[in-house]
Amino acid sequence: MAKSYQPLNVNTDVTTTRTLLHEVIPLTGTIISGTYGVFPDEENIKNYTHGQFQSVYDYPYLSSSANHIFDLTLGIQSGSSLSASTNTQMAKKANMYNEYAQLLLGYDKAQNIEAFESDVNVADDDNQMQDCFFISLSRLLTKDQIKKGTFSIELGQGAFDNAHLSTITLTDTGSSETAGFALGRPGGDYAVLYDSTASLSTQIPTSSYGVIFYQAGVVVLSSSVFNTASGGGVITDFASGAITQTGAAPDTGPGRDASYMIATSSISGTCDALRHRIKNISFNNSTEINSTIYFCRMPVNQFNYSSNPTYTNASKIVVKNVASDLPVSYVTTIGLYNASNELLATAKLSEPLRKDPTNELTLRVRLDY
Amino acid sequence: MSLRKFGPNDILLNTLRTYSAVEYLIYDGKVYYNHSPNQSGTVSDNLLSVTGGALSLYEYNIDRKDGVNPYIYPYITKDSARSSFRTAGRTTYYNEFAYGDMITGSYPLEGRIDREYMTHPGARQTGSDVGLPVSSPGSTFAAAPIYPHFYALKNKLNYYTYLSEHYRVSSSFGGGWDKSNQAISLISVPAIMFGSKLKEGSISLKWYVSGTLKGELRDSKENGELIEVNRTGSNTGEVAGVVLYNEGFLLLTGSWAICDSPMELEIGAAADDPRWIHFGAGAYDGTTTATAGPTFASAAFGISFQAQSDTQAYTMFANAHRGKANYSNNPTYLQSGQTKLKRTSSMVYEENPSLKIKNFVSSSLLDYNAPFKRQTIISRIALYDKDKNLIGIATMANPILKDEDQDYTFKIKLDI
Repeated sequence: MAKSYQPLNVNTDVTTTRTLLHEVIPLTGTIISGTYGVFPDEENIKNYTHGQFQSVYDYPYLSSSANHIFDLTLGIQSGSSLSASTNTQMAKKANMYNEYAQLLLGYDKAQNIEAFESDVNVADDDNQMQDCFFISLSRLLTKDQIKKGTFSIELGQGAFDNAHLSTITLTDTGSSETAGFALGRPGGDYAVLYDSTASLSTQIPTSSYGVIFYQAGVVVLSSSVFNTASGGGVITDFASGAITQTGAAPDTGPGRDASYMIATSSISGTCDALRHRIKNISFNNSTEINSTIYFCRMPVNQFNYSSNPTYTNASKIVVKNVASDLPVSYVTTIGLYNASNELLATAKLSEPLRKDPTNELTLRVRLDY
Repeated sequence: MSLRKFGPNDILLNTLRTYSAVEYLIYDGKVYYNHSPNQSGTVSDNLLSVTGGALSLYEYNIDRKDGVNPYIYPYITKDSARSSFRTAGRTTYYNEFAYGDMITGSYPLEGRIDREYMTHPGARQTGSDVGLPVSSPGSTFAAAPIYPHFYALKNKLNYYTYLSEHYRVSSSFGGGWDKSNQAISLISVPAIMFGSKLKEGSISLKWYVSGTLKGELRDSKENGELIEVNRTGSNTGEVAGVVLYNEGFLLLTGSWAICDSPMELEIGAAADDPRWIHFGAGAYDGTTTATAGPTFASAAFGISFQAQSDTQAYTMFANAHRGKANYSNNPTYLQSGQTKLKRTSSMVYEENPSLKIKNFVSSSLLDYNAPFKRQTIISRIALYDKDKNLIGIATMANPILKDEDQDYTFKIKLDI
């Protein structure tokens, strides 16, 4: 085939670019609870004997079609008022808090583990979230990172047996690709989740109930979002029935606030209660596509001939009728070679391009990786 | 942590070759892949949201339905990189989208076999010949082909004539033929279903009439020829088509009657005896009993082959020789409570040279500390490139206790 080499100038003919491919990920509450079995024992919820977290799938997890969508757990900081050693699974709850805090926030100057805060400055040690729920989203869904400013979670505020009668929506609405988030932490960029009904000018810690780590794909929700009104939150009757009493029906039994559940219930039981209140989760993810673009230039007086065997017939160029006709060729393929003239890749044109001495072409070859 | 260099015999690169059986059953416009039935979910009556016999790329939208569980979908923002989806054509992309606009796609992307029946593969469109001059003044380039897939495969067919003359598009071999003028049934298998290639000698095409096997083709010579076997008729041993192993195409040209059982096999055509050129009818070509005729229900087709997949696997031998790898930088490796710095000032930073290693040698006696021995517990092996960038970590299932006088070799496998 045609072998006409044109060296590429790395300064003028080669450039790189980056494209962001996004996906819209809607996760409705029907996936999270109630569809694949009877709450709280759905077939798409996996609990482990270690009891440290609960996995949520988008279909019964024994099916090969099921995808893991997120893990749920909770943690208590050692300084919390709920951190009594007699609490159920207290050691595990404390370890879980420390594990997430170490991985996402790191340590302060005194080598103490930072605590989660409902603002973007963890160094000032105010607005600390000492009792938290953690939603660790699957890498399948978050890809390279969650797109800033697109996350929202809608939580039921109603009584336990009709939890979604009224809802609160938390969003990272103050965050964008350029502002509104904190960076420099081991977990990457993170921003605060505010009550969406709060105006931007009043998005202060009183209306913030968690943080989201975009690259790690972890959502940290303060338990205060579920506490009784007197506790600073908005939801009463966080759990009841089967969650708190073995053998009771899901919608019967005494109402329990989040603090009670976090302190006295198992991690999996409290996660069940949280699932019951998740109405929607929605976010967009991002995948970076890096590209190298090669500008292949075909000057006026070059690439007007082909060494394709069919280009000539009886030593005559088939696309010329008389000797004075201009030479002409049709470009179908571009070969990319290394310095040793070894073929590395070929780029095909969707349709052949006519090249003759009256025109100049620059073909833009993009290599994605 | 200590860095050690792999020796020339410590790294092996092997190719792991696997074969997986693939089977399709085509009946009345439906395709069944590896005996998988159509699965219905709790919310949607189509669990994977793909047509039967197809694979869902990523298997993202499981049991979803608009209005209940909205679908996951991709989008891209138009910018100077000019990236887009194939669904947005060139004209659409330039004319209908402004910079910053969102261009959406949809999931699932599916992979499936496809059948194309070409009555006259070399035919071209009529009435629109392109008037470009060629060698003979006054003649024209021919117009666009009606079956572009045939034209796209012509070079490959001629290329594989080193395997068999039956690949050649036009030949005088035997009675001679010109595939451009022969009816062809082209069955395309996507790479997601056949991996690296179709395994030679594994292909079998079966034609069932009313549930009875009436004809079978096999590539028994492993040279791409699809030869009729297991039949008492006069055409046993005849070549009814060829297979492109690396590309995943089956081209069937056998036009003899497999049995005497007329049925409606193509849309708009009269009833005909089963012939290999009708093989695969109903595989996403629109042919059903509704479009071809009720007797089409008598025909069923089976395709089976082995998909070959090649996986490169690195095997690395990491050696922890006697007298080496006997120290850990883990802070807990030293006794607690020791002063780590001997002195520090604006001019000097000197660590304590007398730090003591914690003795964790196990003793079988109560309240007795066994004599100190230098030992470590190896829990992970890190792999670095030549610039000492960490590129991988191998973690042990169980930590290994290593004494100073022990030799260990860890075998690390990495599939790529």
